[in-house]
Amino acid sequence: MIHKTVYRHITVMEAVAIFIGSSFGIGILALPRMAVEAADTGAPLLTLCGLCLTLFGALLITLLARRFPNDTVVRAGERVIGKWPARLMGVCLAVFFILLTALGAREFTTVVAVAVLPRTPVEATTLVMLLLAASSVRNNFTSFAYIQLFYQPFLFIPSVLIPTLALKNAIFTNLLPLWGNGEGHWWAGMASVAALLQGGFVLGFLVPAMIEPRRMPQVLLWGGIFIGSVYLLFVIASLAVFGSMEIRNLMWPTLEMAKITMLPGEVLERLDAAFLAIWVTAAFAGLYTTYFIASLVIKDVLRFEDHAFLSWALLPFIFMAAMLPPNVVQVYRAMEWLGRIGLVLTIGYPLILLAVAWMRGVREERGLPEQADSTL
Amino acid sequence: MTLWSRWMKPKSGPRKQPLPPDKVLQEYKSQKFDGHVKKALRLIEEMLGENDDLVIRDFRVCQTHDAAAAYFANIVNRDTSNENIFRPLMDMKPSAARARLRGRALREVIVKEALHHEEVYLRTDMIEVIEDIMHGHTAVFVEGCDKVIVVDARMVPHRTPEQPYTEQVIRGARDGFVEQLSTNITLLRYRLQTPNFRIKMMKIGRLSRTKVAVCYVEGLVRPALVQEVLDRLKMIHVDGVLDAGTLEQFIEDNHWSPFPQVQNSERPDKCVASLLEGRIVILTDGTPFSLIVPAVFVQFYQTMDDYSERWLMASLVRLVRLVALIFSLVFPSIYVSIIAFNPELIPTNFAVAVAGGRAGVPFPAVVEVLVMEISMEVLREATLRLPQQVGGALSIVGVLIVGQSAVAAGFASPITVVIIALTTIGSFATPAYNAAIALRILRFVLTILAGFFGLYGVVVGLILISNHMLSLRSFGVPYLSPVVPMNMQGLKDALMRAPLWWMWRRPQQLDPIDSRRLAPGAARKLLSQNSNTLDPVKPRRLR
Repeated sequence: MIHKTVYRHITVMEAVAIFIGSSFGIGILALPRMAVEAADTGAPLLTLCGLCLTLFGALLITLLARRFPNDTVVRAGERVIGKWPARLMGVCLAVFFILLTALGAREFTTVVAVAVLPRTPVEATTLVMLLLAASSVRNNFTSFAYIQLFYQPFLFIPSVLIPTLALKNAIFTNLLPLWGNGEGHWWAGMASVAALLQGGFVLGFLVPAMIEPRRMPQVLLWGGIFIGSVYLLFVIASLAVFGSMEIRNLMWPTLEMAKITMLPGEVLERLDAAFLAIWVTAAFAGLYTTYFIASLVIKDVLRFEDHAFLSWALLPFIFMAAMLPPNVVQVYRAMEWLGRIGLVLTIGYPLILLAVAWMRGVREERGLPEQADSTL
Repeated sequence: MTLWSRWMKPKSGPRKQPLPPDKVLQEYKSQKFDGHVKKALRLIEEMLGENDDLVIRDFRVCQTHDAAAAYFANIVNRDTSNENIFRPLMDMKPSAARARLRGRALREVIVKEALHHEEVYLRTDMIEVIEDIMHGHTAVFVEGCDKVIVVDARMVPHRTPEQPYTEQVIRGARDGFVEQLSTNITLLRYRLQTPNFRIKMMKIGRLSRTKVAVCYVEGLVRPALVQEVLDRLKMIHVDGVLDAGTLEQFIEDNHWSPFPQVQNSERPDKCVASLLEGRIVILTDGTPFSLIVPAVFVQFYQTMDDYSERWLMASLVRLVRLVALIFSLVFPSIYVSIIAFNPELIPTNFAVAVAGGRAGVPFPAVVEVLVMEISMEVLREATLRLPQQVGGALSIVGVLIVGQSAVAAGFASPITVVIIALTTIGSFATPAYNAAIALRILRFVLTILAGFFGLYGVVVGLILISNHMLSLRSFGVPYLSPVVPMNMQGLKDALMRAPLWWMWRRPQQLDPIDSRRLAPGAARKLLSQNSNTLDPVKPRRLR
């Protein structure tokens, strides 16, 4: 099998950007509601736990990467548990990420339809979003990294600005008690939060292209710090502003927070439309990542040399899947269901791989060739 | 001849078309000059005799050897050829010894003792001689001589270097390139007097045989890059190259992109600055525009002024230019999406004013903006083509009167006119015309998207544009570097223009071999305390 040889070129900074870009996304809009529904005022704590679960998953991938620095997750799987089982898992992963992309696009365009474009059909906005993602998936991994790096400011500035400005209206007693009132269903809530961050699986494909795969823990650390602080900031701010009872009534508390926020200088009267416009970037970064993973997985399973044509080939399926749920309630039900299964795939699968690899003693030959295979 | 016989006359077959000279030339490929002037002249006559401006002047060298000069009448400087070719050759002192001279000896006497023109080539192949004559040289054939003596006495009308129209500066050199390659090379050599400065010449164009010079500084630029530029140029097989723009379209990386991937400039100082950064400059004969590769996006809003002004001012001005650039891209589309989709974003008072202005306008905002934009483009294109005297009048008529009456007629709202005007002015603030034009075109795409999807459409369009720019490369250099991939040294000259002593390295995205601009320690020395000789606090004896 001949692969195009590519040089290792992804720097740590670009890797962090990819990790962050993959985790920001549409999920943040509904995140406070999901956390509050599960744990009441314990939402920040729950978010923290969910983040820990995600980081645990990312850590597993990092450990796997340390063992197989020249292989993507799918290829490492083939070495550890054999060709066909790994391919089967690859197909599952691909289907999962296709569905995740579809539902992500649908969720975002639903928000867009409700908030700014009530008369535009959801099909049109979804198609535009998917076309945008598909046209970008054609790019190689280097451009993927560049694109993710370029959008970092557009992700960070609003996600720090909006919650900070909203804190003006905050009542901090809303945050108490820290562990929530009553029972709650913490495990399910944690899973829901972790499910928002499944784009982080892209790290498993990043390693063969990184200049220094050794420094993956740094990527994890910085990515974790940035993602964690933004997630926590959003949850804490909306909980403090709205209180746990009100948040349950809000579909997208983050968006509502943007609505009540005002920029100093009063140039813009309301920020929700502007926030949503900028949040297209975050939605795009998330969709791009999951779409990219889906095409990379398929490319690895089918041993294609290039993933470019897969981007258009997958588009009709993703679009159809995105149009399946009839309404927003169904979208969220499907997302919840898909997220749980996804956790089994994105955290469970690397865990199994690691355990089997450890028991069988499979590992990569030492030393890194400068020309990594592959993928990209 | 009777009608009958005319009918009966056998039809002649298709008349044989004579071969064009370049095809005939191929037949004479191996033809060498063998000392027979008559034979050589016959060939010249056959090849070029159809031209009425071909001159063949017979004369005699040393009163003994028959000779002839062949040249085109108007391209040769008459004074030079009279004084430097014919006079010395005809004035050669005859002697018995000289009369016996043949072959190499004869040639040496002529070239080394008589002919005192500086640029002389010796040719044997007739095909080369003919190319030289075409180029404007004078070919001198001497009976018995072993080679043809070709003298460069060409004179092509040229203008003097003057300030380029397209890239004016407030502070900086006032000379610009002209059409002649030789003058342009002079301008470069005059500014860059290092032995490392290299010029590689080649001829491109089957018929035009245009001279192209590839200039670079050895020891700075990677040899592989030079090789790639040369290779890309060599691949061009076209009949004629009339402008650097033609070359640009052959060597650029992405032919479908709206963005220019090669920079062009009329300024020798800009070229030298680029050479010093580790870029390659391509000069083309017959055009004052040079090409600079590789090009990244930040170059298109940098000017020479930025470096001659002090850094703080230069940075601010550059920032203004960048803002103007972004304005010219997104202003109309944001206006459309706010007016048509999200009027709640802007302050209520203003929204009411806008709505009042639009009260009589029958079209949706996007149609209004598009119509105004298109008429602005038409106006701009029209003033560009008009003679300067008329152009000024037209632009006043166009902008003031049409704009005013459009509002009065209820065709457009006053705010729209303001927006379009600001956009147009913004697009003029971009120093590079070709980059400005790309953004002008993309502005329409964004406006249409805004008409369909509001702010959502605008952002999708912007993401599409930036993704395209992020995946674009110029000779392998990422188009948005040094911003992405991030490079601290390059960033000092991207959004801001850092103090010169702080930019001690050349732009790293070009990967120059010698990356230091400043000598080690020079910046520290510069910043250390000066002795302040005339400081009044200082004792007089120390001054």
